[in-house]
Amino acid sequence: MATLYHNVRAVLRGEAADHFSLGHYLREHLLARPWLLLWLLLLTYITVRVVMSQLADAPLTTLVVLLVWGVSVVATAAAELTRRHSPATLWLSHNLYNSLTNALLTLLLVLVLLGLGRGFFGWAVTRASFTTDPDAAKAQLAAHEEPGANWGAVGDNFRNLMVFRFPREEDWRLWTLLAWLAVLAAASGFVYGRAVFRRSPLRRGLTLLWLLTPVLSFVLLVGLGGEGSFLPRLNPDIAWGGLLLTLIIAVFGILASFPLGLVLALGRRSRVQGVPAWLVWAASLALLAWLLVTQSLPGLRAATTTGGRIVALWPLLLLPAALLITRAFRGNLVALLSTAYIEVIRGVPLITILFMSIIIFPFLLPPGMEILGTWRVMAAVALFSAAYLAENVRGGLQSIPRGQYEAADALGLSTFAKYRIIILPQALRAVIPAIVGQFIALDKDTTLVGIVALIELLGVANLISAQPDWLGVRREPYVFIALIYFTINMLMATYSRRLERQLGVGER
Amino acid sequence: MTDIAPDAGGRPPSIPFWRDSRVLGVLAQIAFFTLVVAGLVGLGRNVAGNMGRLGENQLLCRDGSSNFRCAFDFLRLDAQFEIAETVIAYDPSDSYGRALLAGALNTAKVGFFGIILATILGTATGIARLSSNWLIRTIARWYVDLIRNTPLLLQLFFLFFGVILLLPSIRQAAQPFGLPIFLSQRGINLPGVALMPSFTLWLALIGVGLLAAGVVWWLLGRRERRLGRDTRRSLWALLMLLLFAVPGWFVAAAAGAGNQGFVVAADAGIATPADVAARARAALGVDDLSAVEAAVAAGELTPEQVEAATVTLCTVEGAPAEANAAAWLRRAAVPYDVERAPGPNEAIRAYLDGDCRLLVLSRAALTAAAVPNSAIVPLPETPLRLDVPRIEGLNFVGGLKLSPNFAAILIGLVIYTGAFIAEIVRAGILSVPRGQSEAARALGLSEGQRLRLVVLPQALRVIIPPLTSQYLNLVKNSSLAIAVGYPDLWSTAYTTLNQSGRAIQVFLLVMGAYLSFSLVISFFLNWYNRRIALVER
Amino acid sequence: MTTKSTAETDEIIICRDVHKWYGDFEALRGVSLTVKRGEVIVIIGPSGSGKSTFIRTINRLEEHQQGEIIVDGITLSHDIRNIAEIRREVGMVFQQFNLFPHLTVLENIMLAPMNVRKWPRPKAEERARHWLARVGIPEQADKYPGQLSGGQQQRVAIARTLCMEPLILMFDEPTSALDPEMIKEVLDVMRDLATSGYTVLAVTHEMGFARTVADRVIFMDGGLIVEQNTPTEFFANPQNERTRQFLSQILSH
Repeated sequence: MATLYHNVRAVLRGEAADHFSLGHYLREHLLARPWLLLWLLLLTYITVRVVMSQLADAPLTTLVVLLVWGVSVVATAAAELTRRHSPATLWLSHNLYNSLTNALLTLLLVLVLLGLGRGFFGWAVTRASFTTDPDAAKAQLAAHEEPGANWGAVGDNFRNLMVFRFPREEDWRLWTLLAWLAVLAAASGFVYGRAVFRRSPLRRGLTLLWLLTPVLSFVLLVGLGGEGSFLPRLNPDIAWGGLLLTLIIAVFGILASFPLGLVLALGRRSRVQGVPAWLVWAASLALLAWLLVTQSLPGLRAATTTGGRIVALWPLLLLPAALLITRAFRGNLVALLSTAYIEVIRGVPLITILFMSIIIFPFLLPPGMEILGTWRVMAAVALFSAAYLAENVRGGLQSIPRGQYEAADALGLSTFAKYRIIILPQALRAVIPAIVGQFIALDKDTTLVGIVALIELLGVANLISAQPDWLGVRREPYVFIALIYFTINMLMATYSRRLERQLGVGER
Repeated sequence: MTDIAPDAGGRPPSIPFWRDSRVLGVLAQIAFFTLVVAGLVGLGRNVAGNMGRLGENQLLCRDGSSNFRCAFDFLRLDAQFEIAETVIAYDPSDSYGRALLAGALNTAKVGFFGIILATILGTATGIARLSSNWLIRTIARWYVDLIRNTPLLLQLFFLFFGVILLLPSIRQAAQPFGLPIFLSQRGINLPGVALMPSFTLWLALIGVGLLAAGVVWWLLGRRERRLGRDTRRSLWALLMLLLFAVPGWFVAAAAGAGNQGFVVAADAGIATPADVAARARAALGVDDLSAVEAAVAAGELTPEQVEAATVTLCTVEGAPAEANAAAWLRRAAVPYDVERAPGPNEAIRAYLDGDCRLLVLSRAALTAAAVPNSAIVPLPETPLRLDVPRIEGLNFVGGLKLSPNFAAILIGLVIYTGAFIAEIVRAGILSVPRGQSEAARALGLSEGQRLRLVVLPQALRVIIPPLTSQYLNLVKNSSLAIAVGYPDLWSTAYTTLNQSGRAIQVFLLVMGAYLSFSLVISFFLNWYNRRIALVER
Repeated sequence: MTTKSTAETDEIIICRDVHKWYGDFEALRGVSLTVKRGEVIVIIGPSGSGKSTFIRTINRLEEHQQGEIIVDGITLSHDIRNIAEIRREVGMVFQQFNLFPHLTVLENIMLAPMNVRKWPRPKAEERARHWLARVGIPEQADKYPGQLSGGQQQRVAIARTLCMEPLILMFDEPTSALDPEMIKEVLDVMRDLATSGYTVLAVTHEMGFARTVADRVIFMDGGLIVEQNTPTEFFANPQNERTRQFLSQILSH
């Protein structure tokens, strides 16, 4: 477009005679790029079609948009020609009208967005009902040919969405926990950021309080004593739900997965002396022989088809497994088992693991022992999360230059001290953004526990549509909880990005 | 504790084993391994102890005995549950094994189309995020942020319950922009393409065209090298291809003119297909058949009259001749009805029984059948015919059909994964240093060459590894299909588990299947990654 | 306990026929070297000659697969106690400094004495400040490594090594990653140390340093010690053809 302006300017100054000819311009800039020309024609056609349909739908708005667009395009072009830009036209010429196609696209997108926005606004506001009285809501909505949103369903169920069946008389526990967290968070922002407090007891004390938080949370959320005591015990399967359950599972998942994730990451990276190949082969050949005799022989006898015979020879799989151990892992069983765990968990969907926690867990426990569904699901989420955390931590470990390990070794630090003082502090700091990202993923994945009969945020939203008062109201709660998720995760993501910048600039 | 003399002939000094790093490593590993195995054995014992709850028939063999070997024998039992849509033929009397296979193939179907579509959407969005147009940039950013920060399951529920199931009923199916796409509660119906017999000829001509285009490309390439300037060979090669493809279309159509035909009663007075339309016009008393619907609405014609003028076709299920005849009748706006028979003989019998006025079949079948008292009218054809979905009774017939469940899971996964791929593509493009583009421009490469030869190879190296994990995520996330009722692997496995009670076996199979999907995808992309890594050197 | 049969003698490092393979590639092909207490040795050679690998085998950053290494009477083997003892006595300064970026300069220096030698904090801090003053940057104690120049970082790294009070100091190309104007400040510190009684093993390209400070110059090539001599003899009258070639290339510009 710049060339066009340049040429038009030349015409205006009367230099056109030797410099500008329209035919030349067309040949050089449009016909020389047939694809561009085609695209321009298609775009023009679509734009005209959309303008027409929007003019029919909402003549006034569309006319205003067309007018504003036309005026701003002309103003920008004029500013470009005279080289006298105001800040507004300069921004426009860089961001919206920097080429012919972009100017058209801008108009097209504005119109489409307006059309969509009008539709959504009409649904969410103009034609919507906001009363929590179901009968009044029905009457209000019936007045419209196309009824809008029934927000009363969300308002009426606000408590359900937040905590579901948490006993009302115990609400103070939640408020206490919230206040505790708020105070600690505010204090942390003050203390941890300042170098003055680096070795002060204040900082240690705060760290201690943070470490106490899980215990306190457990005491408050689950309770201690029996019925009628100060802190009666609650049954999490019943008392926890809604946003409360979502947050409990996500936070627990990420924190509880830390120890295992760390061990797995270190295990996968470990370079310890491997088990000698002869030992691996001897052990696997012995096992193979035993399995062939006890399993394959009777299996072969029982099998009727070729497929059955092949399946009966499954112990032979030990041979490639032994090859894998000796070759790919150099006999390093720790790395082998860590890798196997990480890859298997990461290779299957969370939903299978959740169902496993519900269906298979009971069989793995000693007979007679029972564990609540909530605990089982939380354990499953933590075990699942550990595999992903391990990969994040591994990434952090890989980002530590070899020189750091060597310097620690050369100074004579023990392996434990090396990791505790040198490697892990740096590696974990480097992966905080990744861990925040994992928390966001986990927070979203928490919706899946609804499928195994725990009622978290999405579960409550689904229940609303089954309430007699709000039968079939689905979109409204969905939009509302989408907003909750979006706010939480967007805040975390923004925080993580800021952290990333700080880490990047700070110390390296 | 032996003393070592420094000159002891290079014999390594003996070290107590608890201080030898090699021995310690091995011992620690064996201890670790034993611990893990012991834990597994303990769990196994608990399972054995809980066997009563699992049911004694878990390990039932066909001869009635019970053995660990027979854990998977249940796969041969009858599944006895329905699967709403399958890629392979499936019937409730088939085995559990086949049911699981059908589920796995459904997952593969979602995965395959999902990966292709998500890649397209993600790439487009990723590029849009770098657009010079502020509006496009912003919209793309909002899309990515909104989708990435809300749960997939919520999106799926919204899409399925809040959008697809609230679409109009099948009779009022929505047609966006007047295109032949039908959106209804019963899913999405898209026009398909039916291959006519003459398609083979057209394909051959296109093949010749490709060859010619290749020759032109090569010749112009030599000319370019000789003259040292651009000759726009891609345009010429394309023109060459079109030169064969476009006339080839008509040549193939003309050659295929006699491939299909329909049989009418000899006394009906129909000699060409156009006579069918003429007769319909005469029967209804209108000049323009496309005005019939309006006339019925206005009350000028009764539905009974239209019914009487409707042309019935007898044809074989899925025969190309039906699509051809229907396309032709649709263009002429003749109201028609179709009677489908499983084979040509049944179709002929139906025609002889008077079920229909036209018998549409391939010419060869018609000639062989030699129906008495009738004439064969050849049907014109083109190599491809658009197969537009059409309401017959309570269903759409023809074209491509996406069930609401499949549409929900596919669209949901594509939108979700597309947002993640967009960020990967954007990061990949941004990862190529500005200096690379500047160097390419300084060397005089065109913009296309700059992208193709300099930017893309470097960006791809950054893009492929995270893209692989997004593909894997897409396949894993397809297990959420159970929430929208699409019978994927997990959904069929869950039904199998509940019916057969073989929890552990089913879980092992499902995990194995998902791991194999992951392996296949990783294998392909790793192979591709290695290839571009090699190109780079 | 291993006997300290050599401890009374002057020979603090004894290497006999040290071999090291990386897969099929033989990086060290039988290196033998004896270093006396207080001796300053400079190792030179083309890149890939195995000189860095060789000094890294002495504190077990690389494992040698054949031959014998005895440091201060302790045989280097798979015995983890011996490895720990040797590392305590051998200090090493790296080409890339390898300071710990998340710790302050002072913490970097105090780290090993407190965790390995188990010194109490006040003593460690006193010694750390002492060594920091000795390398000439006492005012940088509370900064982070990232805030220092390359030369300052390398001096902190030297102080960190010295604070462990090692018997032997090893320098692995300590000036190669530095800007020219910073090389001098590091070389000055090294010169100061070399003349104050430490046993020094330095891999470096600084021929001036080798000429003026070294007691012995060793030339390595292809994983072997090709030639060793006093600096005067070595530079004035190289015996081996490869040494002559290397020196002519280095000194010609």
